[in-house]
Amino acid sequence: MTLLEVSELSAGYGQGLVLHGVSFKVEEGQIVSILGPNGAGKTTTLRAICGMVEAHGRIAFDGEDLRGRRPDQVSRRGVGHVPEGRGTFTELTVEENLLVGAYTRRDKEVRSDVDQVYEWFPRLGERRTQHAGSLSGGEQQMLAVGRAMMQRPRLMLLDEPSLGLAPLVTRELFGILERIARERGMTVLIVEQNANLVLKFADYAYVLESGRISLDGPAGEVMADEGVKRSYLGY
Amino acid sequence: MEQFLQDVVNGIADGSIYGAVALALVLIFRATGVVNFAQGEMAMFSTFIAWGLTEAGISVWPAVAITIALAFVGGMLIERVLVRPVEGGEPLALVIVTLGLLILLNSLAGWIWGFNNRAFPNLFGDGSITVGGVRIDWESIGIIALMLGVVAVVWLIFQRTKIGLAMRAVSNNPESSRLSGIAVGRTLMFGWGLAAAVGALAGALVASRLFLDVNFMGSVLIYSFAAATLGGFDSPFGAVVGGWIIGVAETLAGDYIGFIGADLKILVPLGIILAVLMVRPSGLFGSPEVARA
Repeated sequence: MTLLEVSELSAGYGQGLVLHGVSFKVEEGQIVSILGPNGAGKTTTLRAICGMVEAHGRIAFDGEDLRGRRPDQVSRRGVGHVPEGRGTFTELTVEENLLVGAYTRRDKEVRSDVDQVYEWFPRLGERRTQHAGSLSGGEQQMLAVGRAMMQRPRLMLLDEPSLGLAPLVTRELFGILERIARERGMTVLIVEQNANLVLKFADYAYVLESGRISLDGPAGEVMADEGVKRSYLGY
Repeated sequence: MEQFLQDVVNGIADGSIYGAVALALVLIFRATGVVNFAQGEMAMFSTFIAWGLTEAGISVWPAVAITIALAFVGGMLIERVLVRPVEGGEPLALVIVTLGLLILLNSLAGWIWGFNNRAFPNLFGDGSITVGGVRIDWESIGIIALMLGVVAVVWLIFQRTKIGLAMRAVSNNPESSRLSGIAVGRTLMFGWGLAAAVGALAGALVASRLFLDVNFMGSVLIYSFAAATLGGFDSPFGAVVGGWIIGVAETLAGDYIGFIGADLKILVPLGIILAVLMVRPSGLFGSPEVARA
């Protein structure tokens, strides 16, 4: 089943358009990646899905058009977003950050989900009473993933989680992300510059250049593409 | 010595009221990043409603309780109707809205209830007790106790409830709050309602201690600015402690510093505001922005 279908999406800031008719699909349970250089429109794509920028075209999530919805309404429909810059609540404790993630939930399993996040990311558990602003960049990225997981999202959007992290930390983060996604059968849309990393992790990939999709295919095929090798994989 | 202790107790009682209004200022400042200049007039307007209810034959405590509930709704309406359209834009626009609201409420109250002094029923009676030679009136005790109660309730809302967590999240990072499904507008509405309710109680306490007229909250607001500045504009706890320090300093300065007397007491909060801004701009308990990049 197609969980997210974006067609002919155009979006931008003020007069300047960043996206010129972008179309892609995310099947339920799939990990889909959008690759692209700086300024290609990766972040704008995610922001358009979440209602943070005005968009034209169609954004069908589980059959419903999300366009014109506010970010909190999109979130309530089951879209988790790990934003650019991590979106940490610096003045709240680590645990409170996770509870904010569970804000829209009414069930009794919030507590056990918090413990689950601590199991995935033991370092967050050790720092549960600390102000999140005192965490390192990698820890804050883990916290952002944990916070989005607390929503029990049907679709998880990840905006360049590797940005600004040491390679070792990035690998650790992706390892856990992959484990979570596979264990839960979670649907993930991830935008990244780090093609090496993300193509090993994703099922399907799109390449976004200057606001247009220039190539798409199963991750293995995209990885084998000569142009992608030259531009993104450094061969 | 007895005079001194009595001054301290009176100062703490006055300071509790400044602290309550400062707390209301802090609630809105944390949520919107702007000082609500209309806070005093919102309290004044509420107090006139309470007075009107007592004139209509309702006894004073129920009248105050009804007024607090009405103020809560009124505060939410103000946010929804006047503040929401400029929220997230220029901070200056919001400042101007609060200034406009100040003038609006002041004129409206004058138009409805006139500009004369009104006697507000005494909330605590005239009795007093004597402890170690110091006479403490019930009013002071009542005000201090109520204030502590208000602080406890606000603290519990902030630390122990979901809406409180949402309020802190919104004031820390509105965009990230939205992405977590928090309806930011509704959260801010609740914050304005809470601030208006706390202000309404403070207004009734001041009126019960002095009298009621359309400008009676003006000087209280100045003392409360001083209290919030001293305590730190983002710290509810600081607002209360700041209120006490301002209240005691004002009372003692009036009695012990010859040239100040009753007329120049207003210099005390102004001096304290100036000193705090020069020496420690974030106040005693305020947090300067600290974050690891």
